Amino acid sequence: MKRRVLVAGIALVGLVSTLASLPTDSTAQGKVVKIGLSLPLTGADADGADAILKGAQMAIAEVNAKGGAAGYKLEAVVFDSATPAAGQYDPAQAATNYKKFIADSLVMAAVGPNMSGEGKAISPILSEADMATITPSSTNPDITDPKFQSQYRPKGKAVYFRTVTTDAFQGPNMANYLFHAQKMKTVYVLDDGGAFGVGIADSFQKRAEELGVKVLGRDRLDPKEADYKTILTKIKGLNPDALYYGGVMQAAAKLATQGYEVMPRVIKAGSDGVYDLSWPKQSGKESVEGWFCSQASPELVTSPKLEAWVTKFKSEMKREPTNYAITSYDAILVIADAIGRTAAANKPITRTNLRDAIQATKMGSIQGPIAFDANGDILTRTVSIYQWRDGEIKYVGVAPEK
Amino acid sequence: MSGLDVVLQQVVNGLALGMMYALLALGFTMVYGIIELINFSHFSVFMTGTFVGLTVLNLMGVTAVSRSLTGLALVATLVVLFAATMATTGLLGVAIERICLRPLRNVSGTAPMITTIGVAFILINVMLLTWGPQAQRFPSLLPNWRWPLLGTAEITFKQVVLFVVGMVLMVILSHLVKRTTLGKAMRATAQDPDAARMMGIDVDRVVVLTFFLGSALAGAGSLFFGLYYGFTGYYVGYTTGLRAFTSAVLGGIGSIPGAVLGGLFIGLVQSLGGQLLGVKWTDVMIFSILIIVMVLRPSGLLGVRAPQKA
Amino acid sequence: MSALAGRLGARLGRARWRALPIARRRQIMTPVLLAIGLAFPFLTGNAGNVDAAANAFTYVLLALGLNIVVGFAGLLDLGYAAFFAIGAYGYGIAASGQLKPAWSSLWAPLAWAGQVSRLVVPGQPDTVQFHVTFWPMLAVTAIVCAVFGMLFGAPTLRLRGDYLAIVTLGFGEIVPVVARNWEGLTNGAQGLGGIRTPTLLGYDFGFSPYPYYFLGLALVTAAVWISIRLQESRVGRAWMAIREDELAAGAMGVNHVHYKLLAFAMGAAVGGLAGTFYVAKLTTATPDMFTFPVSVMVLVMVVLGGLGSIRGVVVAALFVAFLQSVLLQDLTEYVHALGRLVGSDFLQRLELITSLELIFGLILVLMMIFRREGLWPAVRKVSALTREQQAAAPSRGSAVDLEWARPQTAGGPGRPLLQIEALRKSFGGVAAADEITLTVHAGELVSVIGPNGSGKTTLFNLITGLISPDSGSIRLEGHEIGGRPSHEIVTRGVARTFQNIRLFNNLSVMENLLVGEHSRLEAGVLGAILRPPRVRREEERAVERALQAVSMFGNRLLPRIDHPVYGLSYANRRRTEIARAIMTRPKLLLLDEPAAGMNPAETLELMDLIHGFRGLGITIILIEHKLDVVMDVSDRVVVLDHGVKIAEGAPAQVRSDERVIEAYLGRRRRAA
Repeated sequence: MKRRVLVAGIALVGLVSTLASLPTDSTAQGKVVKIGLSLPLTGADADGADAILKGAQMAIAEVNAKGGAAGYKLEAVVFDSATPAAGQYDPAQAATNYKKFIADSLVMAAVGPNMSGEGKAISPILSEADMATITPSSTNPDITDPKFQSQYRPKGKAVYFRTVTTDAFQGPNMANYLFHAQKMKTVYVLDDGGAFGVGIADSFQKRAEELGVKVLGRDRLDPKEADYKTILTKIKGLNPDALYYGGVMQAAAKLATQGYEVMPRVIKAGSDGVYDLSWPKQSGKESVEGWFCSQASPELVTSPKLEAWVTKFKSEMKREPTNYAITSYDAILVIADAIGRTAAANKPITRTNLRDAIQATKMGSIQGPIAFDANGDILTRTVSIYQWRDGEIKYVGVAPEK
Repeated sequence: MSGLDVVLQQVVNGLALGMMYALLALGFTMVYGIIELINFSHFSVFMTGTFVGLTVLNLMGVTAVSRSLTGLALVATLVVLFAATMATTGLLGVAIERICLRPLRNVSGTAPMITTIGVAFILINVMLLTWGPQAQRFPSLLPNWRWPLLGTAEITFKQVVLFVVGMVLMVILSHLVKRTTLGKAMRATAQDPDAARMMGIDVDRVVVLTFFLGSALAGAGSLFFGLYYGFTGYYVGYTTGLRAFTSAVLGGIGSIPGAVLGGLFIGLVQSLGGQLLGVKWTDVMIFSILIIVMVLRPSGLLGVRAPQKA
Repeated sequence: MSALAGRLGARLGRARWRALPIARRRQIMTPVLLAIGLAFPFLTGNAGNVDAAANAFTYVLLALGLNIVVGFAGLLDLGYAAFFAIGAYGYGIAASGQLKPAWSSLWAPLAWAGQVSRLVVPGQPDTVQFHVTFWPMLAVTAIVCAVFGMLFGAPTLRLRGDYLAIVTLGFGEIVPVVARNWEGLTNGAQGLGGIRTPTLLGYDFGFSPYPYYFLGLALVTAAVWISIRLQESRVGRAWMAIREDELAAGAMGVNHVHYKLLAFAMGAAVGGLAGTFYVAKLTTATPDMFTFPVSVMVLVMVVLGGLGSIRGVVVAALFVAFLQSVLLQDLTEYVHALGRLVGSDFLQRLELITSLELIFGLILVLMMIFRREGLWPAVRKVSALTREQQAAAPSRGSAVDLEWARPQTAGGPGRPLLQIEALRKSFGGVAAADEITLTVHAGELVSVIGPNGSGKTTLFNLITGLISPDSGSIRLEGHEIGGRPSHEIVTRGVARTFQNIRLFNNLSVMENLLVGEHSRLEAGVLGAILRPPRVRREEERAVERALQAVSMFGNRLLPRIDHPVYGLSYANRRRTEIARAIMTRPKLLLLDEPAAGMNPAETLELMDLIHGFRGLGITIILIEHKLDVVMDVSDRVVVLDHGVKIAEGAPAQVRSDERVIEAYLGRRRRAA
């Protein structure tokens, strides 16, 4: 008896949700262009993903308020790319999401992904379908590197566009900055074992070595481990000028506190992984003091030029923006602009045409001029340096490119 | 910093770390000794204890950014904190035993262990859903005194406290198990529950008390974790737990001095091994030790019984 | 509700369905299920759903693989994701540009076969680029994973369930760490990219979900078929015997080392298949895809469906996949809508998918407490007894039809069969066997008696290999068997029953008996899966013999032949154990208190049976407390006390021996 109820219940729920997930007819009201947004909205990266989502949503609302892009209304299709098993973004889920976008004939382009791990899974899918995505935050250079073209875009055309620059510049430019401005001569490099962290630590290390900085060692922090005293003691014993951490917040939270205890006076630097407004709350103001971090974009959120935008964002979206919320906002504007140009050339709005139009983008935006190279990377390769001071993040300047 | 300094510092760190593992292993090994169950949820109770402690402190108005306490206020706060947290985790352990494990007491096979995995998952995710994935700062109550040892190597007050408390707990527990009636009842139940029952021992009550004690110990360990590292997160039970488990097995499962010995050994392996090979191999090192011990000497260093049932 | 369902069920002929034999049910259901499976992509019309279904097939494969290890063999593997990873990376490394060894002529044949190419980069030495074909890699990774399965299983062989689980957990943790740190091989944390998709007859699977769906369906069908075949074979029975009672399994001739490793290997191979399939579809592989939560998820599927239940596990895996990819999101939509309706901010922001792991934990706990056999346990067709059978007066059988059980002892009766010399075994200072010397001749019946704790069962354990002697020798027909593993001793012709009855509780009478036949059958894994005529004949004969063995008890066990033994009466369990021992066709049969718990009539019947065994030429050693029985049947009686043989001789002689009386009754007492 119990089992029958259970089976019936499951069947009922299954039926209802299958019905609910059947595609509904949305072309009834004229011209609509759907934009796919696949972001890790749950899990460890949820907060950053949420900011990106809201940046995009604000842009879509603005475009639609002005009558749409060349008369086409923009509509967002939002999927979560995180899974509980991963606890964060999941490349398989991202792939599934993008396949759903492609299966939906009204989706013409996408904004995302957030993380490069997702990017590696979805780029070949996009190449196959000749659809473009513009990522506001994925910085791993491999995906657009022509060396790996056969892996990530077998058909050859760029499909993975970025409104951020890549770690090919983020890591090395930080090395340049530390070398020139902070007189770093010796460094110890740490990563957190994640795809992003390892990549950027590698690029930092390579550049440091090119500059003649002595890399005293390289090791890996386990984000799930509580005690970093061992490695910090070892590093202290080697007495480097600087410590570079490539990775995200989970390990950074502990690295800051324990690093402060063990080696308070070493120059400490990280990437955009430690540009996280919750860091002082997680580690304590004094632990975070003095840490440098970077952003793969020009100064945005803290820039006085964007104050109005930031105020509008805060009031509409009820949260603080991040730099990548802005690059996400700009990504939507790029798509809107591309739609406009395609329509103006009397060409139908298809994925291929839109991709071509995006490739040919030359526009201004709130982050500055946007144009893409043949690989899909943004032409302006600005990396910004910030520093944590007194519990707040302060813009230092543009990182030197050499 | 000269080589000797570094090694000495790593030894000090390793011993402190090892004592942390030992605290966890103590509660775990006590429970195992009684009901021969690998209680996966023990380490999640530990993790929950850190959040309980955090809540207790917040309720008392002590947060990470409030001004620090001294003297009598500090001692009183600590006493209340430990009492409240240990009582809560002890009760949590009892609840787990009562609801999830007692129905399975006579079931052979792996069903009980699977249940404890389920409980662990439940606890971890409840904490995750309640507090979010980010690390939570734990107020730093203990003063930050440090004393130099040799060159730049130093030892901190926190480490001394951790060490002393661990040793004291071990002595108290050993005394409890060997000399008191309750301890005798526990040992009898461990050897043969049916015979113990026939001798008039209320086996259920002994099991409940053991779970309470073991879980309260986990609570104490959790507070030390919070005070020592200054943070907590939903995942801290997992890695620390597996290391503590290895310590218990290495020292001899069911043996109280073994838990401490095993813990100290693993702590030293972690710090000295990390110094030599780099910390990215720590997991592999420790799991290899676990596997080797299980295969070659399942009774561990100080254990008497091999964990086998005929 | 129940009445309605009942009427509906009756209308659909549920009772008639239940009456069909399992084979027939399968014949009907298989084409139906296959038809649904094949039609699904066209019915749903949505490529996204087909893609999700293809991913779900990966879960089903993993669940089927773990089911072999946990469900069939009872080995709790908490690190199953390791095999998933090895399969994935195995194919990934072979089919992406990860490895770039220098080109040499050794690679030429592979290049000719299209598996590798020579990469010419100006200014650098030529390197090899790998793009091994998907299809042979399925077999290769399965084999590689099987090897790793045995490697990871080997350290666990002597460990009990909990500890075995922890060691497998350890391996499950080590594999992703190695994947992350061994950057040359696996590209470390960045993971592999650009893994080649499969091609079939020139058609590249690419990113369309449809070919993967059908491939996944084929793999799942194959895995289900293999699982069913294994379950119903000698191999499956051996696994289930180990799961139920490893000691008794060994005493029936099941080599636990061989079969445990086999279970690990088969389970790992299926996991490897899942990994290869998954990664060929995803075209990337990162270490984060194979962590502990993945192992737990697969365990949840198996527990939810039912340990050992193939259909349960398949349904549960599909359900979990459905839960994760569709159901929770849809429920969240309703919750959000509800939140907007009632104005609750909390409800509007709630994301149910984040509670998936919590749901897993709840499933594990609730299933273990309330329904350990799973939601949909395997079908066990138990024929109810007819009225007549229930009311029938017990009839007796005899051992006359068991000619196949007649042992071939070299020489004739009278020759020494078992020779024990100076056998010693101590447990922590207490001598359970103290310099025991004993010779048993072929065809004899020797009884071993003595007060409780005198070492009688220890003697049996030493003879049958459950424990090893400290010193001394035990020789069977001249071959030394002291210290040999029990399954080996069984093949030499020694069988036993246990004092406390060790049957395989969840197996039926027939299955218990068939395990007894284990050492006399030959089918291995391939034979089990393919079931050639030779194996089929072997099984048929084994079933025949089991029926004959059972009929020696008249009508007592025969009507209950497919009932699980935990439901039998004590006497029937005892009988089953004896019949099972006979199935091993022993030369020497050790009976440990066979008459315990039997009333006088049953005891007499047992005596007749023992006479019957002797008529077949089986040598018997009997431990019994019922001295009248002992005196009646024995040729010789041996008396043990505190591990020492204190008397030996004809029954009447021993009965009046003073030392014997003293041992039983204590000093200063004489029998009247």
